[in-house]
Amino acid sequence: MSSSRWLSLVSPLVLIVLWESAVAFGVLNRVFIPPPTEVAVELWVSLRDGSMMDDVLISAQRILFGFLLGAIPATLLGIWSGLNRTVLLLVRPLATMLYPVPKIALLPLVIVVLGIGEVSKVVTVAVSVFLMVVIHTIGGVLQIDRRYFEAARVFGANQRTLLRTVAFPASLPAVVEGWKLAMGFALTLIVGVEFVGASDGIGYRIWQSYELYAIADMMAAVCVIAVMGWLITLILDEVERLVVPWRHTIKESRMPLVRTWWNAVRPWSYTAAIIPVLLGAAIAAQSVALNWWYLVLALIGSIAIQGGTNLMNDYYDYRKGTDTAAVKGTGGALLRGDLTPTQIFWAGIIAFAIGSTIGLYLVSVSGPFIFWLGLFSVAVGYFYTAGPFALAYVGLGEVAVFIFMGPVMVLGSYFLQIPDVAWPAIWASLPVAFVVAAILHANNLRDIDTDRLNHKRTLATVFGREGARLEYHLLVGGTFVSQWLLIGFGVVPWTTLITTIMVPLAWRLMQIAATEVEAAKLHPVLRQTAVLHMRFGLLYVIGWVVALWV
Amino acid sequence: MSHALPFCIVIVEEWLNVMQQPPLVRFEQIAVTYPNGVQALADVSLDIPQHQAVSIVGPSGCGKTTLLRVLAGLEHVSRGRVIVAPETRLAMVFQQGLLFPWMSVADNISYGLMVRGASPQQCRTAAREWCDRMGLQRFIDVYPHQLSGGMQQRVGLARALATNPDILLLDEPFAALDAQTRLLMQELLSDLRAQGLCGTMLFVTHAIDEALIVADRVVVMSSRPGRIITDLTPDFAGGRRADQVRTLPAFHAAFDHIWQQIKTEVSAQMHEGVL
Repeated sequence: MSSSRWLSLVSPLVLIVLWESAVAFGVLNRVFIPPPTEVAVELWVSLRDGSMMDDVLISAQRILFGFLLGAIPATLLGIWSGLNRTVLLLVRPLATMLYPVPKIALLPLVIVVLGIGEVSKVVTVAVSVFLMVVIHTIGGVLQIDRRYFEAARVFGANQRTLLRTVAFPASLPAVVEGWKLAMGFALTLIVGVEFVGASDGIGYRIWQSYELYAIADMMAAVCVIAVMGWLITLILDEVERLVVPWRHTIKESRMPLVRTWWNAVRPWSYTAAIIPVLLGAAIAAQSVALNWWYLVLALIGSIAIQGGTNLMNDYYDYRKGTDTAAVKGTGGALLRGDLTPTQIFWAGIIAFAIGSTIGLYLVSVSGPFIFWLGLFSVAVGYFYTAGPFALAYVGLGEVAVFIFMGPVMVLGSYFLQIPDVAWPAIWASLPVAFVVAAILHANNLRDIDTDRLNHKRTLATVFGREGARLEYHLLVGGTFVSQWLLIGFGVVPWTTLITTIMVPLAWRLMQIAATEVEAAKLHPVLRQTAVLHMRFGLLYVIGWVVALWV
Repeated sequence: MSHALPFCIVIVEEWLNVMQQPPLVRFEQIAVTYPNGVQALADVSLDIPQHQAVSIVGPSGCGKTTLLRVLAGLEHVSRGRVIVAPETRLAMVFQQGLLFPWMSVADNISYGLMVRGASPQQCRTAAREWCDRMGLQRFIDVYPHQLSGGMQQRVGLARALATNPDILLLDEPFAALDAQTRLLMQELLSDLRAQGLCGTMLFVTHAIDEALIVADRVVVMSSRPGRIITDLTPDFAGGRRADQVRTLPAFHAAFDHIWQQIKTEVSAQMHEGVL
């Protein structure tokens, strides 16, 4: 699943690039297969003149009416069948028998009976929605744990109260699942119906473009259908949250949307993205005048990729089920149900897209080295929790973070200013690499028990608690010791010694990490290690900047 | 007479002679055979007088839970009868809570009241009162799946007690909890009894210590088909706190006594090749 997600992220981009260039080089005939840019222009034109929206609205209206006409009676009948054996025996065989019939095959029959007007289209959609929802609802009601009925009966519930307080709410999750499937199905079906018997709607638009050989318009309409499908999913996720609130949410603690997103993207973690970029620039500034424009772009790109990484981590941690309510993680928006997995996933994609766009621009101005660094950083960000070899799950999280958030990013930022792979820049990044890895390790040290239960392999679970403590000491200690050694070798200016004021905090953290075992007591260590990273990093950068004048 | 016996135990054989009041619940020679032919209970007679907490222990599968379900009206007897005093209100606490996942803690607690036609305000007031009493104030509007096992079972207890029942039935309510939470719940139950709530109680458990701590009287059942083999009232019962009871020598003596009985039952079953 995860690797196909990865492909689904990369392959459209690759396809678009290949497609565009294939047309540009004459491999594909522009008449039959117009390039993406032409499709985009066509889409823009049809949106501007309103014709696309007209078709979308008509199709949406058919889907909506068909859905309501099918889903409402199906839900009621499904619940009734689930509760009453006689009704079940009457309804289920019929529904099961008709279910596999391709509903589009019913269209001619419906047209014969109801004529070619609007009603026949809506009814065709309604029939298929009806069958799907009925079957799902029956299944849902039959799967209700009988003991809930018993519990209600002991408290004196009569038949009607049982229906209202147990049967109906308990079957809702399955009902909503049926609605979701049926809605997706309705979209597919309406396009088919409009191909054949309509004079408007998005399906008609596609068919007509085919007949007129307006291929770009056809493709634009297909893109619009994809967006419709995505919107329908979003709306139904929202409906599910309203109808089945007990599945993920706390009833009264819904946060305002801005706050929710703010928490989901975890801006306080961005110091990890900012400090290496600043450091690389500060090191470069020792020998050249800075290009501020590149620095700002690098910061924005880095923040976008960090944001995308955070969102993707949430998404995949949620999918893999490692973030449970027991874990005091920061990415709790999914767990609390404030945001849906789909929303998180797409926000992550958008953040990656922004980061990549900036990255591509920087590549175009400073050469392929940055391209490889960028590709590497996106890969680390994505594979951190995604894919079969998710770094965080095979014990390579700290290593990946050490290399990427340290040398790689610092060198990247340096390279933008001075196109040269400079060893001093790499050496100078080590203290920051140690302390950023310490943040992640503090997290793993805290979660050592829950990660073990979930078979999440981190260095902490591999080494055991004693080993993990030693590792924390090495990382925090390494931060300062590496800096002092580098100053001794003359690679790092002595002005950076202002970081020494962070030694007491580091010392305290090491002591807590050495003694505490409870996750609740180790949680502050994580927060404070992040604070240590931020302050150490900023002081270290300031030390480098001060060195310009000293 | 009680001092004459070792272990300070009174074995009560003829409850009707002892008790003046008619019992709240009387099982009269009941037998239960399931449709699949398994006989769960054979000839069980038991009286539960008002204000008595009775524990039922026995080897697993002995039909303890069936006895409870018969009383709750969830199971039919094949023979014998169950006599319940008129106007008796029952409430039950289930294994693992069995809270309604689609209702908030407040709605779960007031469920019994709601079914009986209480107004939303009355329900809310009762829910708040019980949340206060059970230390669940902060969780009143939370869904059950967001609670720990111990908290869920406290809600289950509150849901039962909020209906102000004449007899409280508990079906291995703490079996799924971890050892420490269990101890806390046992103490909570003793505290509630000390406050005069849940006076009459039928408590099914497989844990002997729990049976002794929670109840005034312990009924030991044989392996399937279940019969009553011992019915005893430890003299430390009543009014004392759970953690005090646990330290008494009489508690350990009673524990051993019951354990020997159950062990004999289980080993007999093993020889017959049932286990």
